[in-house]
Amino acid sequence: MKSKNIGTYIIAIILSIVFIYPLYVLVLITFEPTYLTFDRLYPYQIPVVFTLSNLEVSFKNLSLVYPVIRSTEVAFIVAFLALMLSIPAGYGLEKLTARLSNRIIILMFIVNMMPALVIAIPISVYFIKLGLENTVIGIALAQELVVLPISVFIMLGGFRSLPSDIENQALVDGATLKSAFIRILLPLIRVPALVTFLIAWMTSWDEFTYAVIISPVKPTFPVDLYDYVSRGEPFVASSFALIVTIPVIIVTVVLQKYLKGEYLSGGLGGV
Amino acid sequence: MEYKLELIDVCKSYGNKKVLNNLNLKVASGEFLVVLGPSGTGKSTLLRTIVGIEDIDSGRIIVNGEDVTKKPPNKRDISMVFQNYALYPNMNVFKNIAFPLKMAGVPRDKIKEKVENVARLLKIDSELNNSVTRLSGGQKQRVAIARALVRDPQLFLLDEPLSNIDARVRYTSRQELKRLQKELNYTFVYVTHDQAEASNIADRVAVLHNGIIEQIGTYEELYNRPVNTWVGDFIGNFPMNFIDGSELGYNEKIIGFRPTWVNEESNGIEVEVSLIDIEESNYFIHCTYKDKNIVFQSKNKYNVGDKIKIGLKKFNVYENGILKDVINEEAIS
Repeated sequence: MKSKNIGTYIIAIILSIVFIYPLYVLVLITFEPTYLTFDRLYPYQIPVVFTLSNLEVSFKNLSLVYPVIRSTEVAFIVAFLALMLSIPAGYGLEKLTARLSNRIIILMFIVNMMPALVIAIPISVYFIKLGLENTVIGIALAQELVVLPISVFIMLGGFRSLPSDIENQALVDGATLKSAFIRILLPLIRVPALVTFLIAWMTSWDEFTYAVIISPVKPTFPVDLYDYVSRGEPFVASSFALIVTIPVIIVTVVLQKYLKGEYLSGGLGGV
Repeated sequence: MEYKLELIDVCKSYGNKKVLNNLNLKVASGEFLVVLGPSGTGKSTLLRTIVGIEDIDSGRIIVNGEDVTKKPPNKRDISMVFQNYALYPNMNVFKNIAFPLKMAGVPRDKIKEKVENVARLLKIDSELNNSVTRLSGGQKQRVAIARALVRDPQLFLLDEPLSNIDARVRYTSRQELKRLQKELNYTFVYVTHDQAEASNIADRVAVLHNGIIEQIGTYEELYNRPVNTWVGDFIGNFPMNFIDGSELGYNEKIIGFRPTWVNEESNGIEVEVSLIDIEESNYFIHCTYKDKNIVFQSKNKYNVGDKIKIGLKKFNVYENGILKDVINEEAIS
């Protein structure tokens, strides 16, 4: 039993290193002078000098501010749209037999199985016709494709996890369909809704393929970041990336108690 | 006779499976009707169609003289207690009980008064501000019943409300429920698969099987005169004993009798003891008679393998499974 626990810890530590190391490198590049990082063949792995000059240079270059604002707008639109669509979808799918609704969900995930480019290019043709090219709404609509299947999956799980007959009880107690939904069901699915919102928001925040194809002229933050890297200004990019990552990390840590597996299983746990 | 609830030729099927098959039922005002049946016979479906959360395929549902067949559940004026109580976990006890009143647009001060009254009646007035998720099974059940009682509807439907409670609490809850129903003169339709519960609280018992009511009457009627062999087999702690009647002068007929209708003093049929059950101070003797198992109640403890002779104090005669005759004299001795 004890040795099993130690094994678990070792695996957890290795996994943590794998996930945290890139972030650590980001921190190093941001706060170390370039002669210790980029200009060396073997960069220092432990911080020796501390400098804020990289950040200073980055913030003087304001052109990254607009992509950040644009990305924020897109992410919020994607997240709200995901909620508006996935809550009714989850509610409706829960009414079907589990067999049928599971199949519909699998059908929805087909979009995610195809390479994004295959879908993004034909979409961009239509978006040009519709005037959605290079607009925030255009990017948001395209990214919604990526986010929607998982959102519906989570909300379906949320509705499935509700105590059975709770909606029927509300109807029997004199509520209309609308008031039963608003007063009883919505408060009960607030956690999966929050999870959906977060996942949609974060997915949009670092989505690249749809963003670069739909809106190459007015790029979102990840696209612009890539431009900087390819133009040979990686330390500007990395310091900005770090600053922008911090709010996401804080939000995730604060809300992590809701990010438990049960809502990600789509109510399939125990089946 | 005034009926609170009438079901007329109600049919309901899921796909090809007929759950309710031309079902007719009348419940008098102030009556405590228990719907009894094996699991999976559509007892819950019956309640769900009455309350309106499931539509029926054909037939009519009449509540207090008014046809509610096409009405949604919130317009039927029926309360229901679901098997798992279906309490609203996002609300405390007070808000749970107040919900039906709130939906009916009752003014705030009136709601408070009514909720407090019904909570006192069910002895949960000290729990009003607690979260429903922290209550015990018995308390949850009381909250669910309080919520059903609070708005004074035409009819109460209860779907196995005591099945999730421990045996001892269940017994007292049963008595309390019965007392409450009689005191307030409410009409209850109560679904259960537990015969002890049915015999304990019911004014009348309706036996539901294969989508129809096989028999309806007091528990004594069901026990003493089951209208067919299925009901005889289903009702009672031990099923009714059925033996071939040809040797006893009832050709092509079947004789049915209860374990307590056996007369050990007489010289009737010869049976061989195969098993002995002890229940409180009685022995239930299982024996074989011409390859049939029969059970009777006795004060004597026989040994397995004993050959004894028994007679019958009374018995029922069935032809093609239907009750034909009830013989009360010392017919076989």
